[in-house]
Amino acid sequence: MHTKQLITELREILGEEKVLHEKLDLISYSYDSSFMARNNRYVPDVVVTPTATEEVSRVMKLAYQHNIPVTPRGAGSGETCGALAIYGGIVMDLSTWDTIEEVDTENMQVQLRPGVVHADLNRHLARFGLFFPPDPGSSKMCTIGGMVANNSSGLRAVKYGTTEQYVLGLEVVLPNGEVITTGGVKCKAIKNVSGMNLTKLFVGSEGILGVITKVRLRVWPKPKARGILMAVFHDLEEAPKTVQDVYSGGILPSGIEILDASAIKAVNQYEPEINLPDAEAILLFELDGNPASVQWEGEEVARIAAKRAQKVEWSTDPKRMAELWQGRSVTATAAARVRPDGSRIFAGEDISVPLNKVTESLRRIKAIAGKYGIGVVNYGHIGDGNVHTAPVINPEDPAEVAQANRLVDEIHRMAISLGGSTTGEHGVGVVRSQYAREEHGNALDVMWSIKRALDPKGIMNPGKLLPPEGSEG
Amino acid sequence: MMKLSQVPAVKDLLRKCVRCGQCRSVCPIFKELKNEGAAPRAHVYLTQLLRDGELEPGAPVAARAGRCLLCKSCAKECPSGIPVDQMVVAMRAYLQDYSGENVKKFVLSNLWGRPKGLQKLRFLLKTYEASGLKSLLQKTGLLGLISKDLERANKLLGSVSRPMASQTIPPIAQARQKRKIRVGYFLGCATNIFFPSVAHAAIQVLRIHGCEVVTPKNLQCCGMPHIASGQATQAKSMTEHNFRLFYQAGVEAIISDCASCTSMLQGDYYDQLFAAELPEEVSYFKGKIFDLNQFLIDQIDLNESLGPVQPVKVTYHDPCHLVKGQGVTEQPRKILNLIPGVDLVEMEGADQCCGGAGTFSLTHYELSKKILGRKINSIRDTDAQLVTTSCPACSMQLAHGLTEHGMEIVVKHPVELLAKAYEDAGRDSKTS
Repeated sequence: MHTKQLITELREILGEEKVLHEKLDLISYSYDSSFMARNNRYVPDVVVTPTATEEVSRVMKLAYQHNIPVTPRGAGSGETCGALAIYGGIVMDLSTWDTIEEVDTENMQVQLRPGVVHADLNRHLARFGLFFPPDPGSSKMCTIGGMVANNSSGLRAVKYGTTEQYVLGLEVVLPNGEVITTGGVKCKAIKNVSGMNLTKLFVGSEGILGVITKVRLRVWPKPKARGILMAVFHDLEEAPKTVQDVYSGGILPSGIEILDASAIKAVNQYEPEINLPDAEAILLFELDGNPASVQWEGEEVARIAAKRAQKVEWSTDPKRMAELWQGRSVTATAAARVRPDGSRIFAGEDISVPLNKVTESLRRIKAIAGKYGIGVVNYGHIGDGNVHTAPVINPEDPAEVAQANRLVDEIHRMAISLGGSTTGEHGVGVVRSQYAREEHGNALDVMWSIKRALDPKGIMNPGKLLPPEGSEG
Repeated sequence: MMKLSQVPAVKDLLRKCVRCGQCRSVCPIFKELKNEGAAPRAHVYLTQLLRDGELEPGAPVAARAGRCLLCKSCAKECPSGIPVDQMVVAMRAYLQDYSGENVKKFVLSNLWGRPKGLQKLRFLLKTYEASGLKSLLQKTGLLGLISKDLERANKLLGSVSRPMASQTIPPIAQARQKRKIRVGYFLGCATNIFFPSVAHAAIQVLRIHGCEVVTPKNLQCCGMPHIASGQATQAKSMTEHNFRLFYQAGVEAIISDCASCTSMLQGDYYDQLFAAELPEEVSYFKGKIFDLNQFLIDQIDLNESLGPVQPVKVTYHDPCHLVKGQGVTEQPRKILNLIPGVDLVEMEGADQCCGGAGTFSLTHYELSKKILGRKINSIRDTDAQLVTTSCPACSMQLAHGLTEHGMEIVVKHPVELLAKAYEDAGRDSKTS
């Protein structure tokens, strides 16, 4: 079908305002936050912004009939090209559909449309003393639809887990336009093992099986107290051991973050007044719960950490907590500014390794980066082994781009060899699909079978999550 | 003017944008339009494509560059420190040959072709005159086309009844006590024409505090409306003309009661486009240009006894160029809190743009109105009897919005209340 004809038919379904086809609009949908998007131009043929299930369904029926690729998109804050139309076709921007339909306080759940922004949801829930625990760094802009599609998480995954643990049910428009509800059509139960767990199938499927149009989330009571503990180490090895000691001590913090020497240096260079101690590693523990237990746990973690750390500080004072946490909160920013003529890039940024391999992975990343002559800043969620590496390069220098791609490939392969994964929370998209066979073996064939069963024409976000067919030789 | 690729923001910072999208969370225009083309990072991306020749300059991209308030919300929020507004200004200058068509189209079809009532027209005309758009239209030859309508509209509205400030303010106003400093007062267009009382209050208060206030005759527009419309060369000539006047007057500092004028004088955009060729008269004043509130609180001691004013509940709107551009947010509040009788209540989102943005309210009226609507709702929620702000363009926009929403609330500059408090304390003597 010619694009012109496609636009006409889409307008009949959605009206003029929800069909974007001007060149400058299309260009604006050609990027996300990934390094790969920076180096390529994935311009869609048309963008639609539906705000009703019926609209999504009719668009899918049209696309299905004419074999047109459809790429669902939230805020485009991803780092994997997951929401880019790499084969052209339709980009479906769901971020304008941002209605919170129901906060059911009696049943501790909320129903919403995919475009609701994470921070907006939690701001809304706070009025009811509730919260949705997963907390990605992109909270201010990322959408719940995107979080579900990528099974996102964040700092507090240590205690609260990832998005999948909170999704009770979904409304999904399948590639052929059919609408299904997972987790029970009328169900409002929290526990539910009836039927195959299709909800979990769609969570983290990165839009390759259907379009998520409605989400039923479980929400939790918002903790009343919080405290922050900072521990400073002269020996990197002592940091993960301390994490293990804390777990062995029967304590589960809500978050445990690590800054290695590169991150400490970057933070101090960027914001000298933060003045982090010169060290090989800094651990930041966050504890939450009721005031009495937070105080007890904080003191206990301080006692445990003091065995290995050179310096420990514990606080529940909001001002001091903010100061202690500042090192972590500005790390990403500091990494971006550490080299005046450079930029951080989002590539190889999300490996996840077993807890007992975190130190080794940090050392090896440093060595690999040295080999390629690239500066990196390392930080991450040590509590669950999720290491964020920020290579800082001049992204407009082709030689540095080539070296960075080699560095990233090596980091990904290292993660697999250490018994880890290429991605802990950002997803696969295009950028990590090449490792799928190595990571999943013949389970990848089952993934393909599921994909073909639900999307026989291969129109649903093609080229993501699974390696291109035939690419494995 | 330097090449687009050589503008410092473009040359040094463009590559740092990782398109994380955090700017989506704060942009007032994105909040209304919601699609990615309206996100600040899209502006950065378009600048990149223009710089690299991947995108041809033309009217469509000029229109996109025009769809920005220059409110700096995104620049302040950006983790990578990208000054998106400076890039947008650079883009507008680069695309100036393509933007005329849109102004023409808008003015002819929207403003004059679809009259929407006197209030709206009056507001638009006020903005039109004050913003310096008039001179832009003259330059582009469009004024001839529409002058008849303008004449008619002007008659309908009546002329501004009060004398303009420039007609009554002396070139040099002596200090009321021992002279401590000789300052230049930058009398901006909008203050001059629509808010002369602000100018009088500013000079009065400065004099009380030992300032000899020089207001040069023949000051021109600060150039902000021009540089914001891509007319960089005109802006440059105006800026430099004004600095020459202050330089010749031998003043030690320059003070303005308009957030945008101060921003322009401080070189926010001028320095980006003309960094390589700053004349002595301009560079001399680096670090010596102050917002009035900032000057009163940070540079001179305001601990004079103030008479109580009629008790009044006041809220304060932060002009973007002041709060996000210059970091001036505490000072106007301190002034208000010093005045006995003033009960300052904060509105939600005091630092959110009012949607005025100079000529933006003229060229994007409907969009501007939506942004303004949020601001008016915040004001309503405070139950304030008086709105204060430190920018005449914001004052006009807010007054327009309050009228449109049927709220009888006046908008003033904090210095007007301060002057009144001095007056009530018997310390006043009129500006001669």
